[in-house]
Amino acid sequence: MDMPQVERDKERELIARAQAGDRAAFGALVREHGNEVYTLARRLVGDPHLAADVAQETLIRAWKALPNFRGDAALSTWLHRITVNTAWTQRKRARRHSGAPLDDYIEVAAPMGADHPEMAGETLELRGRLRQALDSLPEGQRQVVVLKDVYDWSHAEIAEAMGISVSAAKVRLHRARARLARHLEESA
Amino acid sequence: MSVVCEMAAPFVANSAVAQTPVARLFRGHADACLKCQARHAAMARTARELAAMSNETLVAPLDLEWRVMSALEGDLAVARSWRTPIAVTAAVVSMAAAVLIWRLRPRTQA
Repeated sequence: MDMPQVERDKERELIARAQAGDRAAFGALVREHGNEVYTLARRLVGDPHLAADVAQETLIRAWKALPNFRGDAALSTWLHRITVNTAWTQRKRARRHSGAPLDDYIEVAAPMGADHPEMAGETLELRGRLRQALDSLPEGQRQVVVLKDVYDWSHAEIAEAMGISVSAAKVRLHRARARLARHLEESA
Repeated sequence: MSVVCEMAAPFVANSAVAQTPVARLFRGHADACLKCQARHAAMARTARELAAMSNETLVAPLDLEWRVMSALEGDLAVARSWRTPIAVTAAVVSMAAAVLIWRLRPRTQA
């Protein structure tokens, strides 16, 4: 996401200070990016409590990896990659501990944007159904749809983050979109 | 709904989201079928909604920053990179102490 030059400079300074071990500076970065990390985590894992754990773990990993952050990509992009990896690890851990299938964690959330009266009712309704449809997708399919169609990642980036081949990512995306369309049709 | 519509559905959905033409095999059908066109339009709208979701941000739990910073405080006491060597050393020392105690134990004469 584009940010003004002043903010970019401020963020660069915070990153440099955090890389030097300044935890107050890192705290400021957490405040700046915490919601964004949580949002992606929430979309990837579905469950809000698990998403909070993923966000926490992501930011801890980010702190540890920060000395290696060279600034080639935006901090938010870098954090997104860590979030995807962490989400995958946490979901596997949660499944192992509970013995339950991943989809048992899926909850039907309230439609987003309900606090935006300016949004047309129809759009709100579609957004709500869309969230439910996304949450109903199996883990791997939801991740590719979120990363590709919401966050506009390339197939190669998705494949790398998920540890699958590019063609597998494409096939998964194809199936996910078909399933999403079917779910939306049924719920209409 | 025809069987062809059902078979074409995934390709129609994908073409709408990816903004690419429907796969050649089903293109002729999709161009002529009102049902498939309606599906295409609905999925194109869905794609726009998905893209718009990237601008939405959910509010993280209020204690997220506290949780992260507390975890970092805890980690500072024993850096992770030192945990394994410390644990291994502790295990070796414990075993050596156990062997020493065993060897030095008072023996009763038979």
